[in-house]
Amino acid sequence: MLTTRVFTMVLLVTMLLTGTVLAQKTLTIVRPTDPVSLDPQLETTAPGSWVFSQILEPLITVNQDMEIESRLATSWEFIDPTRLRFTLRQDVTFHDGTPFNAEAVAFTWDRAFNNDPPGRWKALAGPVSGVEIVDEYTVDIVASQPYGPMLLTVTMPYTGVVSPTAVETMGDDAFSRAPVGTGPFKFVEWRANDRIVIEANDDYWRGRPALDRIVFRTVPEEGARMLSLRTGEADMVLMPTPSDLPALEADPDFIVEGAPGVGVFYLAFNLERPAVSDVRVRQAVAHAIDRELIAEAILEGGGVLATSVIGEPVFGYKDMELLERYPYDPERAIELLEEAGYTRGNDGLMRDDAGQVLRLDALPSNGRSLKDREIAEVLQEFLRQVGIEVELHVFEWATTFSLMRGETLDYDLNSFTWFTTTADADYTMYSNYVSTETPPASWNRWRYANADVDEWLKAARASLDMDERAELYGMVQDQLAIDLPAIPLYGSYEVAALSADVTGFVAHPIQYILDLFPVDKP
Amino acid sequence: MLNYLLRRILLTIPLALGVVFIVTISFDLIPGDPAALILGEFATPQAVAELRTSLGLDRPLLVRYVAYVGDILQGDLGRSIRDRRPVTAILSETFPYTVQLALAAIVLVLIVGIPLGLLAASRPGSWIDNVIRVTSLAGLSMPVFWTGLVFIVIFSVNLRWFPVSGTGTWRHLVLPAVTLALPSIAVVARMTRATVLEVLREDFIRTARAKGVGETSLLYKHTLRNALIPVVTVLGLQLGQMLGGAVLTETVFAWPGVGRLTVFAIFNRDFVLMQGLVLVLAMVYVFVNLLVDLSYGLIDPRVAYS
Amino acid sequence: MSLAAAPQAPAAGATRRNDVWRRFRRNTLGMIGAVIVIVMVLMAVFAPYLAPNDPASQDLRARRTAPNVQYLLGTDEFGRDILSRIIYGARASLVVAVTSVAIGLTLGSFLGALAGYLGGLVDGVVMRTMDLFLAFPYLLLAIIIVSALGPGLQNTIFAIAVWTIPAFARVARSAVLQLKERDFVTAAKSLGAKEARVMRVHLLPNFGSTLLVYASLYLAYAILMESALSFLGLGVQPPTASWAGMIASGRNYITSAPHIATIPGIAIAIAVLGFNLLGDGLRDAYDPRTVKR
Repeated sequence: MLTTRVFTMVLLVTMLLTGTVLAQKTLTIVRPTDPVSLDPQLETTAPGSWVFSQILEPLITVNQDMEIESRLATSWEFIDPTRLRFTLRQDVTFHDGTPFNAEAVAFTWDRAFNNDPPGRWKALAGPVSGVEIVDEYTVDIVASQPYGPMLLTVTMPYTGVVSPTAVETMGDDAFSRAPVGTGPFKFVEWRANDRIVIEANDDYWRGRPALDRIVFRTVPEEGARMLSLRTGEADMVLMPTPSDLPALEADPDFIVEGAPGVGVFYLAFNLERPAVSDVRVRQAVAHAIDRELIAEAILEGGGVLATSVIGEPVFGYKDMELLERYPYDPERAIELLEEAGYTRGNDGLMRDDAGQVLRLDALPSNGRSLKDREIAEVLQEFLRQVGIEVELHVFEWATTFSLMRGETLDYDLNSFTWFTTTADADYTMYSNYVSTETPPASWNRWRYANADVDEWLKAARASLDMDERAELYGMVQDQLAIDLPAIPLYGSYEVAALSADVTGFVAHPIQYILDLFPVDKP
Repeated sequence: MLNYLLRRILLTIPLALGVVFIVTISFDLIPGDPAALILGEFATPQAVAELRTSLGLDRPLLVRYVAYVGDILQGDLGRSIRDRRPVTAILSETFPYTVQLALAAIVLVLIVGIPLGLLAASRPGSWIDNVIRVTSLAGLSMPVFWTGLVFIVIFSVNLRWFPVSGTGTWRHLVLPAVTLALPSIAVVARMTRATVLEVLREDFIRTARAKGVGETSLLYKHTLRNALIPVVTVLGLQLGQMLGGAVLTETVFAWPGVGRLTVFAIFNRDFVLMQGLVLVLAMVYVFVNLLVDLSYGLIDPRVAYS
Repeated sequence: MSLAAAPQAPAAGATRRNDVWRRFRRNTLGMIGAVIVIVMVLMAVFAPYLAPNDPASQDLRARRTAPNVQYLLGTDEFGRDILSRIIYGARASLVVAVTSVAIGLTLGSFLGALAGYLGGLVDGVVMRTMDLFLAFPYLLLAIIIVSALGPGLQNTIFAIAVWTIPAFARVARSAVLQLKERDFVTAAKSLGAKEARVMRVHLLPNFGSTLLVYASLYLAYAILMESALSFLGLGVQPPTASWAGMIASGRNYITSAPHIATIPGIAIAIAVLGFNLLGDGLRDAYDPRTVKR
């Protein structure tokens, strides 16, 4: 008892001492993986973007309500269907003193589009083909054909403008480890797999940020990430453990901040495989799965029940009314399977006329999306209940990924989270559902083919009329609900757990965007 | 002596090349294309093919191997496929962490393991011997990652004595070092006990005892030196394994060392990084063995190197 | 890794075996080990009769319940009965450990004995190859193998077997070398016995006991190795119950439901301890000098 008290005293004194020495406001963020690079040229995953988007800024961005906001551009307009004109800020300098101007924008986009190899985000930009300088503070972003999602493309954090001087003097390799931009924070150091440190940019054009330093720590263990928040080692946890969230929410020492995201985790069917090419089997699977229970028991608030193949904040979203169409009903699932020609044996398993057990091979994503492996196990059990035997082929991501991209897919089922990175339906719908967009060139892994859908998606891509586009995407989603090439299971929920000392943080629907400028630790 | 050293070091070369060859082959067999992984979900097949060419992945296995050996001879370990940094830079950043952890653990093993073994050997069959035997066996039997988790829950979460994970201060080092040391402490304690008992049966000890040398002096002066050789061998093995990367301990405590790096390299199909890692690991292995052999000479001057 | 001293007396079969058993029986710790191992084997064999519930059956509404009357060891994150999964988990652990060690023992001791007996070039090639494998931190070797072949029961077994080969080869080789120089072998040879017969009649029975001790200890390591691979997600696949797999998925709930990850850890520790105690006991029984003066 006495020793505990003495210990607490010592601890308090130490904390006070360190507190006075370090009057700096440091925000420590823990997340599971280290980035590949801090240059959008090489890095398009969230762990990279969370850091470099504090350092590099795009011309425009989307805010938490999915409205477009100005950053390095003050105004913008379409001057023709393939040409988008931006007027730039004139009072901005890079962290290395280089003035920001049209040349810097052109340098950044040229680098991404024309370098060998080109920047990794080029593939996200559709028919957008580059930048033309109009005058020192005006640029045109041009596309090779009319492209509906063009404005949203420019908001992607990857388009953050880099300091041309820094890239030239440091070289690409060094720059990718220590980027120089115009953002609210400047790069300090990166110790691989351990931490990345950035500090406030005193001369930031929107004013100095409230935080002095941000430390991004890499903690791969989910449990350890949560514990570091509880022990005070971290102020903020990205990708927290869902099951811990209710307790944190109830605790006045912590805040849980979340927003429905643009990713959807789904169970997809390979329509080239005989068993699941029968729509009744697919419907039976949909009826066999209690999606609400999965959301409640497995995701526990870490995801939201998916209502479409794209997330609610995405442009073009329409509710596919899946709960009404395919409610959880194992009896109905069994009926559908019997209609499809299967009979249920004494062992509870469905067999076809030849006596073959209805067995589906599944290729689930593993360790890539929230609770993906767990959901695979739950789906296996739900399907066993209606007599479908599922064999899980769980590999590490590298293997799963190459199998998914193969010319043929030797699995009946595949589960995966797809993020609509541009927040425009085109990004997901076109590559996933147009009949010619098959792997390895594109992502129609289910080999879905519907002539109407092809036509609607092509029309929606080329149109600049947002109402017309929204209607076309609505029609596609209705058709997908009938054809059922994939069953959406849950939508991403971009959630962070924070210490209650932290103020000003608002979660963003797009996983890649982490807005730390307004964050403070008063 | 010098000849011996030289020969031992030269022997490293075929060993290292052999190990690198195994890695090159096995990464060719592992499914998963590093180029496709780097480019991510939305890359075009053309972009993947281009990247494969620029990384030299399209060349035949043997060509790549020979080219790599040529590079090594020039002191160039190549660039990581994933982040394109020089492998030497990555290694020099990671290795200090592993060395730090391994040394801390091996010191624990020395100051805990050997005394425990001696204590047990001094009273074989006694209750204290049995307690030490059973606890050291228990230490050997617990999965390291589980011990680490339990330590975190007890010492980080409940008692708040040490941080949950990461690096920085000596307090960050305590839990990973203890977790890593635990099984090795058990091994070394058992080895010490066994060899000391063995030596105590030797003729010269019997002679010494017959001459009236006291038991304590007998144990420490006469026995220990002779018992040390197998103990040092085991210590060397343990140190070698620790320097080779404590994958599980590093994973549980988010320690940015070689073990995690290796798993990372495997999972990302970063075979260039993996080749470099394996090369260095093989050298570490040989070096530790050499140290062990040399220490025999220090412990027992009768050992001759030829 | 304790290096067992090679057994000495090449006494006649039956009486020696009796001696060994008599000594083993008096060794309390060894007997405890034997009991643990036997219980584990029984659990694995009779799992369907012993387990109160279907180990794969989920009840998502009763997930992560603490140990209680209905679920003696509580439920996991899918509401599966942990007790039943522990009982079934003994199967995975035993199958992997026994099969891989059996393979490693057979191949390793054959290679080692061959190298030791023939000597010369064969010895050099075989033992240097073994060194090559030992130069690799063993867990990494196993990870590479499983990554190359894909996770699953068979490949886990293969990866662990590969890792045990060098150890058995070394034991076999050194045993053969020791015995080769012994009088009774030299005598048999000088009497004109054929090489194959010398190996079969004189060598095998004599290093058999060392191998037995080693096998028991390596079964312990194999269980730990399987658990390490499963912990990294490379081991036995769901829905098959595996102890380490249970820890791996339960570790995310280590604060809110610590029983999910801690109980299987205890199961692993007890199982490994059992094989270690058994191995120790066997060694002491074969080579009594290590216990008492």
